[in-house]
Amino acid sequence: MSNVISVSHLTLAYDDGAKEIIKDVNFNIKKGEFVFITGPSGSGKSTLLKAMYGQIKPTEGSLLVGGLDLASARKSKLQELRTHMGIIFQDYKLVNEWTVSKNVVLPLMIAGYSIDVQNTQSQRLLKHVKLSEHGDKYPLELSGGEQQRVGVARALAKNPVVILADEPTGNLDDYSSNVIWDLMENACQQLDTTVLVVTHKIPAIFSLPYRHFIIENKGVYEVH
Amino acid sequence: MKSIKNHLMFILPLVAILLGAEFYLVFDRTTDSYAKGLKEGYSMLVVSKSPVSLDHLQSLNSQISSSEKIERQKIVTEIAKGVSKTNEKKILSALPHFYSLHLNEYVDIEKLETIKQDLEADDNIKKVETFGTAYSSSYKLFTFIKLSLKIFIVFMAVVSFFLIIKQMEIWKYAHRQRMQVMEIFGAPLMLRSGVLFKVAIIDALLATIFTSLFFLYLKFQWAAHSGIDIMMENKEELFKMTDIAVLLIVALFIVILAVYSVVFTTKGEEE
Repeated sequence: MSNVISVSHLTLAYDDGAKEIIKDVNFNIKKGEFVFITGPSGSGKSTLLKAMYGQIKPTEGSLLVGGLDLASARKSKLQELRTHMGIIFQDYKLVNEWTVSKNVVLPLMIAGYSIDVQNTQSQRLLKHVKLSEHGDKYPLELSGGEQQRVGVARALAKNPVVILADEPTGNLDDYSSNVIWDLMENACQQLDTTVLVVTHKIPAIFSLPYRHFIIENKGVYEVH
Repeated sequence: MKSIKNHLMFILPLVAILLGAEFYLVFDRTTDSYAKGLKEGYSMLVVSKSPVSLDHLQSLNSQISSSEKIERQKIVTEIAKGVSKTNEKKILSALPHFYSLHLNEYVDIEKLETIKQDLEADDNIKKVETFGTAYSSSYKLFTFIKLSLKIFIVFMAVVSFFLIIKQMEIWKYAHRQRMQVMEIFGAPLMLRSGVLFKVAIIDALLATIFTSLFFLYLKFQWAAHSGIDIMMENKEELFKMTDIAVLLIVALFIVILAVYSVVFTTKGEEE
């Protein structure tokens, strides 16, 4: 199976290279894999994830996502890559002045799909995350768990190649967390989407032997 | 209500800048016409030993546009009443030649002095009278009014500029979340700033309409019925239809600049 994410001798740093966060790490993630990256607070989990959607440029080494080298990618290529990604954030990052339906179809809007397609997909996705009756509401009218389900629906909107999730259940109670984990696991198993989750702790509900990396002392190590 | 307030907070400083721009255009046109009137009404007197041609005078200073010979016979007739014809002829032959000179622009007092010196450098020219005192006072008044209005326009523009910067901060705050989220999901610049552009362009159109209506009112109501001669005579200079295009271009330039500043300073995810 082909690699969706390929990391080779990757170093990530802030302040023009002065503050190294990740140093000389190597790993690959294949299509359809569900992968956890864990580590203590401040270890660089979110930085690594940000680098994967091009928010931070690699200082050294190469980082290939969907075959695109993010160290040298042009802005237009990076924008195109992001349209094939689903990104889920701990703080949801929904647009508060938009309705839930409009938030969900953001990736389709960016890709230029017609309003009809957007409406149909919005209904399908909201049904999938069990929020059918909330389409006309605004994000701040929903609970945290519901907002995150909107975030997951948005991430799934365009059948992404990869879903990157940064502490997706960090602000949620156990029940809401389990719903979110289920949705992501389903996406991986049914749509063959690669899912990369950054979290401080692997949830107990995961009994399947998913790949697990730990970030420690600027290095990334696979746990067997 | 909040939306109207947000629009007004950008439209009002924009209108202030456009008013400044239009006042500048109007003032430039009316002062040009006033300067033309002053120029046409002004002439200097040249006294020469023998007749001089316009070409010769222009070779001495290129700012001379025309010359008019003052008939000596009239002067002699006036001053030689009761004098015999023979003596009148003697007086006439002894009189120098007089010319009234016009200039091709409304010059300052220093340039007027230079013209005088250039003319007096010619041996044939005995005297040049510039009537400098009267000229100087009207020129100083004219330049003072011009400078005062320009300072006022610049002051208005600076104050409005700071108000626009303030509004840009509000825009940045109001649109940041949406633009950042859209950027993360790969939206191109035009798409993520589309709403802001739409708002800004509507504001630019409204500001242009308000400013144009204000000046149309001044032109057709206030100036036409003011009873002030200079206003009524120069009514056409007060606002021209082409000014609408100028105002719209200025307004669009300002809003596009403002939107781009907001878009480029709202890049990236909130850290």
